[in-house]
Amino acid sequence: MTLPNQHLFRAFDRKQLENEIDEELRFHLESLTAANLQQDLTFAEAKAAALKRFGNVEQIKNQCVEISRRNRPMIRFLKVLMIALFLCGVLIRVSSTEMHVTRIGDILMFVGVMGRLLVHVRGWRPAANATDAPTVSPLMLIDRTQSADTYDRRSVTPVERLISEK
Amino acid sequence: MTNSRTDLMQGTLELLILKTLSRTAMHGYGIAQQIHQSVDDLLRIEDGSLYPALYRMEARGWIKSEWGVSENNRRAKFYQLTRAGRKQLDAESSNWERVSKAIARVLQTA
Repeated sequence: MTLPNQHLFRAFDRKQLENEIDEELRFHLESLTAANLQQDLTFAEAKAAALKRFGNVEQIKNQCVEISRRNRPMIRFLKVLMIALFLCGVLIRVSSTEMHVTRIGDILMFVGVMGRLLVHVRGWRPAANATDAPTVSPLMLIDRTQSADTYDRRSVTPVERLISEK
Repeated sequence: MTNSRTDLMQGTLELLILKTLSRTAMHGYGIAQQIHQSVDDLLRIEDGSLYPALYRMEARGWIKSEWGVSENNRRAKFYQLTRAGRKQLDAESSNWERVSKAIARVLQTA
């Protein structure tokens, strides 16, 4: 049985998230390598072909970690909570002139800003941010003399063919 | 044989994944294999690029994932379409058809 606080810690546990993504990507690469081995390639050739078809493993892993981490419900909740605390602090600060009340406002503002920074810094990885959004489409049309014939003969694009398949 | 990189419409990869998952739940490798088979090597997809797309789609609620056991008895993460994903697939499919019809019409008249 999973306790609620285990979910809470999991939300922050970047290492566990990375391990899960590692496992998922490794499964893909090993399945590709196994498929290549059935085509009479040596293990080294099969692995190299798998890596070539897969792309930059580390970059993909970083993208997945960032996307997943940013969208975890607990992280989103904390971001909203910290902003709410800061705004409450501002409200208290401007609506009261009493020393001890304004101090509470100051504390709330401080906690809000520091908490928001902490949530931001925990997920800050320059390498991952640099590669967050693909600048070009990951899809490529294969430009072959043969492919032009195939297009004409079938009168549909590959994407249309996939969509129309039942 | 020459290969050239051609940028396709934004969201095309998501559409291919949604359509592939509309048949059954699959792991990432299965999705990649299915797409490769369907497009007959006319469209090349770096397998790894599927994963950021899958994670983005999961964050948007179009798909959900669950760890299970693969056909070769290994732990694997399986993805399946949600109700929101089916709606998205319908919307994206009709949008694709509309755009491709429009482009075909322009190409015929130009």
